[in-house]
Amino acid sequence: MAEEFNTESMLDMFLYESGQLLEKLEGIILEKQDADCFDDADINEIFRVMHTIKGSSGVLMYENITKVTHKLEDVFYYLRESHPDDVPHMELVEKVLAVSDFVTGELDKLKNGDTPDGDEKQLVEDLDEFLGRLKGEIKKQGIEMPQANRHVEPTQFYITPVAGDDSHFYRISIHYRSDTQMSNLRAYSATYALKEVAEDLLYTPDDILSNEASADVIVAEGFHMLLQTKSSKEEVIALIDSSEAEEINFDELTKEEYGNALGEFGREVAEPAPAPAAVDTKEAAGEAKPDKPKPGDYVVKTKEAGKGKTLAKHQPKQQSIISVNVEKMDSLMDLIGELVIAEAVVLQNPDLKVPGLELSNFQKASGQLSKITTELQEVIMSMRMMPLTNVFQKMKRIVFDVSRKLGKDIELEVIGENTEVDKNIIEHITDPLMHLVRNSVDHGIEENAEDRTAVGKPAKGKITLEAKNEGGKVYISVKDDGKGLNKDKLYQKALEKGVIENKPMSEFTDKEIFRFITLPGFSTKEQVTEYSGRGVGMDVVVKNIQSISGRLDISSVEFEGSEMTLVIPLTLAIINGIVVQVGNSPFVIETASIKEFVRVGEDSLIHEPSGEEYIVLRGECYPFIRLNEKYDLPDSIDKIEEGIIVVLEHEGSQVCVLIDKLLQEQEIVVKPIPPYVRKVKGLSGCTQLGDGSIALILDIAGLLMHDGERR
Amino acid sequence: MAEELLKNAETDETEELLEDDSQKGMFMTFQIGKEFFGISISYVNEIIAMQPIAAIPEVDDYIKGLINLRGKIIPVIDVRARFKMEPCEYTDRTCIIVIDVKSTMIGLIVERLADVDTIAEDSIVPPPSLGRKEHEHNKYVYGLARTGDTVTLLLDPEKLIKQDDIAAAVEDVRKEEQS
Repeated sequence: MAEEFNTESMLDMFLYESGQLLEKLEGIILEKQDADCFDDADINEIFRVMHTIKGSSGVLMYENITKVTHKLEDVFYYLRESHPDDVPHMELVEKVLAVSDFVTGELDKLKNGDTPDGDEKQLVEDLDEFLGRLKGEIKKQGIEMPQANRHVEPTQFYITPVAGDDSHFYRISIHYRSDTQMSNLRAYSATYALKEVAEDLLYTPDDILSNEASADVIVAEGFHMLLQTKSSKEEVIALIDSSEAEEINFDELTKEEYGNALGEFGREVAEPAPAPAAVDTKEAAGEAKPDKPKPGDYVVKTKEAGKGKTLAKHQPKQQSIISVNVEKMDSLMDLIGELVIAEAVVLQNPDLKVPGLELSNFQKASGQLSKITTELQEVIMSMRMMPLTNVFQKMKRIVFDVSRKLGKDIELEVIGENTEVDKNIIEHITDPLMHLVRNSVDHGIEENAEDRTAVGKPAKGKITLEAKNEGGKVYISVKDDGKGLNKDKLYQKALEKGVIENKPMSEFTDKEIFRFITLPGFSTKEQVTEYSGRGVGMDVVVKNIQSISGRLDISSVEFEGSEMTLVIPLTLAIINGIVVQVGNSPFVIETASIKEFVRVGEDSLIHEPSGEEYIVLRGECYPFIRLNEKYDLPDSIDKIEEGIIVVLEHEGSQVCVLIDKLLQEQEIVVKPIPPYVRKVKGLSGCTQLGDGSIALILDIAGLLMHDGERR
Repeated sequence: MAEELLKNAETDETEELLEDDSQKGMFMTFQIGKEFFGISISYVNEIIAMQPIAAIPEVDDYIKGLINLRGKIIPVIDVRARFKMEPCEYTDRTCIIVIDVKSTMIGLIVERLADVDTIAEDSIVPPPSLGRKEHEHNKYVYGLARTGDTVTLLLDPEKLIKQDDIAAAVEDVRKEEQS
């Protein structure tokens, strides 16, 4: 049949929407975790979120999700209607988070193409028990349960499709067992199955999806359907899922009886429409919609339309945001880059350089053009920027979870969560940040509150998560007021692990000692816990951060606390670089890593017998790389006096590189080297220069590493 | 109306099939040295004139470097060098065939383009083997076709760009993502 569900796109929609709703839900919960109770607005919001997820998962037949969300919805429905006092708030928060986790887990399974097969029984039982307790309390107080709100169905004219001679008419009544969960959804799945074969289908109660209370009605009075179809009785019976049904009555009717029965179903029968295919049965028989289907209208997906409507009602704030495929963004960025180059080609066209040519109008127009293209570039760049809000919200959740599990009382302060960072970077920092936060909760804050009060600190631990934007870099710090790092312990551990040769402690600066914790396999925690202490982690954190050319700063004062700061670039897509030339090839060096440019003579060069060369600058000795030799570039300068030495610095180590000449400084758009080409050490990407030629970007870390390996 | 829609969808599909069919058996042929080579036209994205190539250090020498194709940076390989033939000067007849193999865009530098030929499937014969194991040189030639009085060697682009190159690249990328 033509009006089949497009499950694929519905699934995408479902995943996207539910993901968003769950994020929102978690936001509300964590915001209110320390409050005494949820206020009305929150309860309504949570109720709506659960309701929406339940509805859409029900349609897609993910029963476990439906059941769990349904139960939680019950709880909140009760809260909303009865306003019970003495709700154990913390327990409620935990319940909501448990449900949210469960659904998130199932959604992940769906995303990976698996079937959501999580077992919901335990969760449902817990919620039942919780709700039971809430209700028990209320009964003691002698307040009556509120009546479920039922909305009145608007009367609709109903146009029966013309029955063919071979049509059969049936009246089907299904009685479900009294303990059936969500009989309304079961009923819906029955109607859905029948729609496949139905020429016409009516059912009562007819608001099975939009009205919760219909479930009770169905259980009590049964679910009745009127069906007009060409299929035989056996075929129809086979379509109905009878697993939970206690009894199915199946009567074949004549055409006249069918007409009478329509009246019983609360429809006024209008003149039959001329064409049988003209009426969308689902539209007419299904949800209460104000717009009547007009004959001839071909409605493809009524369900989706309905869903869209509820969503719009629930999330007015989200309307101004559209989500765009990143690939489209990237291609837009590429195009704008092209535009800028094309602009340069036009404006600096040699044809314009005829002596004595009067071009004042052209100059004006071209000035305007440049202004627009520059602005365009800025806009596309800003489109890639996202606030850290979502990342920080995850951290809130982690602090909440871990601190409760470890029995520590911790308060989390968040500063500057609106700081904006490139989307690519956000993807890269989430895991490292999670690790740092977990570490702070687990290792940073003292085990017992007594340990804290003994040194004059408040019993409640405090972790500060702060983000700020300074000088083209983003600083994200995780600060705790816990016990801090113990330098002696770290030093001893480092000795044991053999990572330092027996150098005395005085030879290391504080920073160097703190840095030990980022070494692989280094953990001073004697006891390995569920969350941390295995010593894998800090080294991964550092690696991840380095991969986006950021760094990790550690500072700590014993007994007062420690602070881990991630320093990361604002964007990966654009760097400020200096274009240099070696031989015929242009290279780009990131401006931030250049310490200085110098010209030196042959006398500053030290040759080792092995062929290694060093350069002595102001009494200090630096390793020296001839880029032309390293990369085998022809036609380049060999004599050190004629070229320029660039001193590069990365994480405290320096290297000198010989280049031919400097070309220009400019903002460049970083592009990856196509994966077909094997990765070359010392190159981190490529870019397009103003004239359309390609320059390779030098990766200082890679250069240093390569140099180190060679030695 | 529904049926109409369905009918439309069907005709669209058949049209697509026709288009596929019209490309079937068509080969872009080009000359390297004295030999003629052909690749199925369905791989060919476009043909561009020779343009400046940015060399990449430390790669196999048949990978000539990167070109900028309207903002897209794609690697180019010299087919001559790929066949381990003596390199030759690039002239104005030299051009780059941009092919798309499993959504990897790669440029092939060829000495000169010959033609677009339709080669009937039954005129393609597998390369003769002399009983010994397939010669290394032959593995990206999957068939010989006679057109007029010339023999065209049909290339399998997937083998030409060497599968393990891509596998290695994918491996590299994966490693990077993990670390």
